[in-house]
Amino acid sequence: MKVLKITPERCTGCLRCEIACSYMQVGAFQPAKSVIRVSPFEGHTSYAPYTCTQCAEGWCMTACPVGAITINAAGAKDVLDDRCVGCKLCTIACPYGTVFYDPSTRKAFKCNLCGGDPACAHACPTAAIEYEDVPTADWLHDFARERASHVLATNGGGR
Amino acid sequence: MSPVTLSAPKQVGKPQPALPGGYAGQILRVDLTKRKAWGEPWKPDEMRDLIGGAGLGAMILYRETRKGKGNVSWDHPDNRLVLGTGPLAGLPVWGTGGLTVVTIGALTNGPTSTQANGFFGTNLKYSGYDAIVIQGQARDWVYLHIDDDRVEIRDAKPYLGKDTWETQDALSRDLGMTGHQLSVYSIGPAGEHLVRWAAIQGDYGHVASKNGVGAVMGKKKLKAVAIVRGTKALRAADPRGVIQAADDIAHDLKTDPSARSLYEYGTLPGVVNLSKMGALPIRNYTTSVTGNVDMKSWEAPRLREGFDHRGHQCNACGMHHCHMSVIRQGPYKGKTVDEPEYEGWSGAGWTIGATDQSAVAWLNTQTDRACVDVNEFGWVIGWVMEGLEKGWLTKQQVGFDLKWGDVAGANRLLQMISRREGFGDLLAEGVKRASEKLGGEAAKAAIYTGKGASPRGHDHRARWEEMLDTATSSTATMETGNPVHQTELGLPARINPFDGVDVAKLVAGCRGRRAFEDSLGICIFTTRTRLENVCRALSAATGWYYTVAEAMRFGRRTAAINRATALRCGLTPDLEQPSYRYGSTPHDGPAAGQAVGAQWEKMVDTWYREVGYDRKTGKPLPQTLKDLGLDWLSKELWGARK
Repeated sequence: MKVLKITPERCTGCLRCEIACSYMQVGAFQPAKSVIRVSPFEGHTSYAPYTCTQCAEGWCMTACPVGAITINAAGAKDVLDDRCVGCKLCTIACPYGTVFYDPSTRKAFKCNLCGGDPACAHACPTAAIEYEDVPTADWLHDFARERASHVLATNGGGR
Repeated sequence: MSPVTLSAPKQVGKPQPALPGGYAGQILRVDLTKRKAWGEPWKPDEMRDLIGGAGLGAMILYRETRKGKGNVSWDHPDNRLVLGTGPLAGLPVWGTGGLTVVTIGALTNGPTSTQANGFFGTNLKYSGYDAIVIQGQARDWVYLHIDDDRVEIRDAKPYLGKDTWETQDALSRDLGMTGHQLSVYSIGPAGEHLVRWAAIQGDYGHVASKNGVGAVMGKKKLKAVAIVRGTKALRAADPRGVIQAADDIAHDLKTDPSARSLYEYGTLPGVVNLSKMGALPIRNYTTSVTGNVDMKSWEAPRLREGFDHRGHQCNACGMHHCHMSVIRQGPYKGKTVDEPEYEGWSGAGWTIGATDQSAVAWLNTQTDRACVDVNEFGWVIGWVMEGLEKGWLTKQQVGFDLKWGDVAGANRLLQMISRREGFGDLLAEGVKRASEKLGGEAAKAAIYTGKGASPRGHDHRARWEEMLDTATSSTATMETGNPVHQTELGLPARINPFDGVDVAKLVAGCRGRRAFEDSLGICIFTTRTRLENVCRALSAATGWYYTVAEAMRFGRRTAAINRATALRCGLTPDLEQPSYRYGSTPHDGPAAGQAVGAQWEKMVDTWYREVGYDRKTGKPLPQTLKDLGLDWLSKELWGARK
């Protein structure tokens, strides 16, 4: 299955992925509605995008009491708007924090891989986000651990 | 996908004219004297007429800073500080976090238009505003906090005395935010102490540096503007068209020979390239040869790889331009700095005789933190160093000895200037005023224009077009900018750079593009494509059909309005001269013997004729104004005519 392969070291924090994603989500440029989010590390000196890894466990699917999360043709977990009742259980179940809730529509929303042609991967100017046939992985884990340990070291153990 | 609705939408109240795409639709007005802020809607026809940024700011300045027959001075409460962006900011076109600062600046006491990038424009637009216009003066130090519709004027005392990076760190921490969630543009100690060449800096390394805009902010007692990344939507008339235009521009930037090095290395290649033309300013213009410095180590790839570095791009930008670097060795080892632009390598480096790259990189960020213009920094510190060497300045005057290349000493003087301590108080006035006060040899060695502007960080004795542009400019920095794809406008691809007439014709011919770019909320480096592509992006965003001809006409209209304000400020044509040193003839290097002074009058005459301005009064001629659709301005400048 093709997934979003993220190479955090390449990200420059330009947030173009968020703009492109929001356009696919709501038809306007509105990063607040993006389902890929770029997080800063070490204050302002490094950035990395993260989004749903389309994990095999599919905690969001398991948690949904009304069967509103299904697997679409691209293999992505997708929220069916007409079934979602906005209970937010999926947002709690997701261990990565990549299922969101939109108070204006009262529905959950998440990455659906744009149905097989992800806009974020097209938008990324540094190829930090690629759409490839690789095993699903938590792309951010090692990067976040390494950056966090750096911050702890420079801050004297967080005191 | 939602189904298409065929029935007409219900209308509530009067039908409003549809906003062009790309606009948030409101200007945020702030009166610091009255401690009030309010949103002011602007109309679609005004948007097409003024676009935003430089164009909007020029009109606000012209309309709102008049005082009798003259103009309010930079430090008057009625001076306006316009922090503008434009219709492309926040869209997926590369480099669209744009900030254009327009105000009556402290160095020339005339109009300014000076740019920075980062995420200012993006965060502001997503909050629902196209520009901030600040008037009045606060009684106590404040900062402006914008979080969507919540706009607050808050106490800034806890941040006083902090440099710009510390201010952003502290505000982010206090507001519980990280990274680009919060865009902070602030002044450092230099702005607080009204240094006439203080700048406004934001998002760790982006500086609106010209004409003392930081002093204007300081006079208003506004320490910072902090904008939370807004949650609102920006719509484009043709969103796919915006993305397509953005991709085409990106392709051009990556592949076009005139833009590719900028794409790969930003402005780093400037050092070596300009040194080969004799346009790298070395030791306050006392020489144009690089001497025994190994110039191979100054090639862009080596300059970048000399540091641990990481991209630190502006909104939606794919250029490999802005970087964060960590210094690897020497006394400043481990310090995080903003990779210097060419201007930094020149102003904090070559101009003051410093060529230790780690030290220059550190000093450059020190100027951003104290928050001054790095160009004027070079001209001031280089002038002091030359004075101490030649004896027209003494150690007793300055307070300590300062030799060429002494980076620690230069920083010591920077800190004195930023707080107006000792000799720093005089230097805080800028090199023109300081040198005029000292007189004699000191006056002859200073680099400035007659209007009081700081030239950018080149040796313009080998780059006449920019000397002419800077000297005649109404905005205290180059007004026309360097030629970009000028053949698109029917101008020659190459000219003899030392033929005054050809130079003047080229500068006049390119006039307009820059003001247009600076009105869009985009970086001038990501518009290094054919203007047609930029117009396409604007058309797709707004729904207008915007042509190259309209863009050029718009830019010239903006320049004419700025010219009218500048004349009101007393910036008359007799001041359009380089200073003695600035207009001198290089005695060595690649441009040795090329005498700009000998052709100066001819060059200015030609420029005036070509732009259609009156050589004597400096006013745009009535016919020029008519052609630009500025009949109203013609009446004001020339009186009613039959």
